[in-house]
Amino acid sequence: MKKFLLYIAKVFVIIVLCAVLLDGLYTYVYMKSQNRGKVENVINSKAQNFDVIILGSSRANNHFVSQMFEDKGLKTFNYGMSGGHLFEASLMLKLMIERNYKIKNVILEADLNLSNDREAEGIASLFLPYIHNSQVIKDHFESQKNFKELYYIPFYRFIKYETKIGVRETFFTAIGKKTNALDNLGFYPLEKHKNGNMKNNIVNLNPLPHNKYYEEIKTICKENNINFIAVMTPMCENVIGMNYFDKVQKAYPEIHNYENAVVENKYFSSCGHMTSDGAKKFTARILNDFFKK
Amino acid sequence: MFFNSLAFAIFLPIVFFLYWFVFNKTKSTQNALLIIASYYFYSCWDWRFLFLLVFSTFLDYYTGIQIENSDSDKKRKFWFWLSIIVNLGFLGIFKYYNFFAASFAEMFTSLGFKASPILIEVILPVGISFYTFHGLSYVIDIYYKRIKAEHNFVDYSLFVSYFPLLVAGPIERATHLLPQVKIKREFNAETAKEGVYQIVWGLVKKVVIADTCAVYANAIFDNYSSVNSLSLVLGAVYFAFQIYGDFSGYSDIALGVSKLFGLDLLRNFNYPYFSRDIAEFWRRWHISLSSWFRDYLYIPLGGSKGGLWMKIRNTFIIFIVSGFWHGANWTYIVWGFINAVYFLPLLLSDSNRNNIDAIVLKWNLDSVKVLFSILTTFLLTCIAWVFFRARTISDAFLYLKRIITNRDFGLQYLDNERYNYEIILMIAVFVLVEWYNRTKVEPLSGKRSLLKMALAITAVIAFGTYSDYKEFIYFQF
Repeated sequence: MKKFLLYIAKVFVIIVLCAVLLDGLYTYVYMKSQNRGKVENVINSKAQNFDVIILGSSRANNHFVSQMFEDKGLKTFNYGMSGGHLFEASLMLKLMIERNYKIKNVILEADLNLSNDREAEGIASLFLPYIHNSQVIKDHFESQKNFKELYYIPFYRFIKYETKIGVRETFFTAIGKKTNALDNLGFYPLEKHKNGNMKNNIVNLNPLPHNKYYEEIKTICKENNINFIAVMTPMCENVIGMNYFDKVQKAYPEIHNYENAVVENKYFSSCGHMTSDGAKKFTARILNDFFKK
Repeated sequence: MFFNSLAFAIFLPIVFFLYWFVFNKTKSTQNALLIIASYYFYSCWDWRFLFLLVFSTFLDYYTGIQIENSDSDKKRKFWFWLSIIVNLGFLGIFKYYNFFAASFAEMFTSLGFKASPILIEVILPVGISFYTFHGLSYVIDIYYKRIKAEHNFVDYSLFVSYFPLLVAGPIERATHLLPQVKIKREFNAETAKEGVYQIVWGLVKKVVIADTCAVYANAIFDNYSSVNSLSLVLGAVYFAFQIYGDFSGYSDIALGVSKLFGLDLLRNFNYPYFSRDIAEFWRRWHISLSSWFRDYLYIPLGGSKGGLWMKIRNTFIIFIVSGFWHGANWTYIVWGFINAVYFLPLLLSDSNRNNIDAIVLKWNLDSVKVLFSILTTFLLTCIAWVFFRARTISDAFLYLKRIITNRDFGLQYLDNERYNYEIILMIAVFVLVEWYNRTKVEPLSGKRSLLKMALAITAVIAFGTYSDYKEFIYFQF
């Protein structure tokens, strides 16, 4: 039995060693990456100056045409991330500040995402490879319930979120395979889809009265003299429960309501996402309202 | 509680410790602990079905003794048929009732009659097909006086409910397992080490091969009408490796875990995709089920001893019943039928036992022939797997038809944002590893075992699929 237990101990040591080595290898690969996505683009960047930074979910990513800002002479990047919540938007901004970005304006898409202050696992996981290399990321995740496992068990985070930061993504990162996430200055244009979902029911959605991460973004902007512009972006005509936007307006009067800026279905790829034509129309309105010189 | 879950990783060392350090005084204490552990293991799925398991165990235990003690043939027959009918009755109600009710209703409707069948809403008790077959083989063996009835209820219960084999086999025989549980087990470090090798290799098969292949196979099978010929061909291959990795991986873990407790279980897989014909495939695939059907169905029906028609009839019966055993769906029946069609020419030409020797390859023409026959057998198997995997028979036919009619053999981006070819390399490495170790139970033992173990663990950690968690396929049977 002693011999066998010794053998099991050896196997256990092998498991720990493998995990530690793989953790180091994966982290090293991600620390060298810049062209796969917006997260590593910020993490592995140096100080930059921006006139406008756009944050939010896909409804920011697909709705703000960065080039139209650039055409007005405003250095802009759209850091909106499909599937992201305000948890990740706040972390992105913190990382930019940590890297001494000089930002004049932050446009935050704040509407449906105000209904929760949870992390969006699929997007939040993209920050995890760097958790041991960034105090900001560590602090941001510290309040999450699975922080200890993710932080202290070597390689656990890469296993738990293997579809996002597992072997496949690590391999593509290592060979420098580019994605389209950074094209068009971060704006992702959508086309009109024949089978796009043009119905949406948000009756049961309610904005949190004090969304922790929304408040965090607001505070960061204030502390760093950044002009904070929070906007609600358009949804198609068929949405049931449009009074959600009124509820947001009531709870957060400073958020500008652009829910009706574009309404016709022809401008929508799906009910919550405009086509590039819709995005242009909407961006023109934003430029006109906030950046008219 | 799955073998590849954290819960099992905690459960197993606890039971191991208690078994060898606390309950190791006598075989009775060892068996009692294993029974408690097994019932706990089973109740983790659904404790309500524990009663069914205990009832089934008691029924076969009691009828076994009654058959042995009966002084007349009439009584023996009574107890024998009571056990068979009740066992198959449970299986029929839980697994097949809805299928038959719906099929008959469909048939009547197509004949112009109005039929609205009464369907029962009940979930299939996990492992029912496996423990029912344990019990059946035991009772049949007693009836035919091949074995004596077991009088110790704990020992018999362990034979039926032993947790490594409880939910997905292998289907044990009383002649093999019962003698082992009748004696006190002494710890053997080498056997336990072999068990660890087998557990780790089983995990490689499950989480690296099966679960990764499943991601691709599902994307292709679920969207077969919109993917091209190459993707469809690869989809069938991926499913072939998914089901092999899944089921043989489970069996490896089961056998490995059992070795930790000093109990040897029947081998269930012997590198089936290296078979040179379908007959050999069925001697290497789910061996415990194939041999069960051979011994308790095929041979009692007359086997291959009768005339031509009897041979044909028995072949179709055994394969179709085997298909039906897997689930209440016409796709499984057709899968069984196809395998019968594959097998029949070999049986009729008396060449079904041509390939019983070990495969040896050299640089000569014979080896090319061997490789060709292996590939052909694999191709035939993949075609049959399409029926096994498809939702309906017509889906399977359309899937195969599209392979021929689409004729686009270009690389394709699947709807899960992966290319259709991405895991071919992983499968190729897996096949090579298995090929070079095909004379062994698993590839990790032998020289440089610690290094091989490290590589296997690395594969499990780094290449495993975890986020899209998948149950073992055979749990549903």
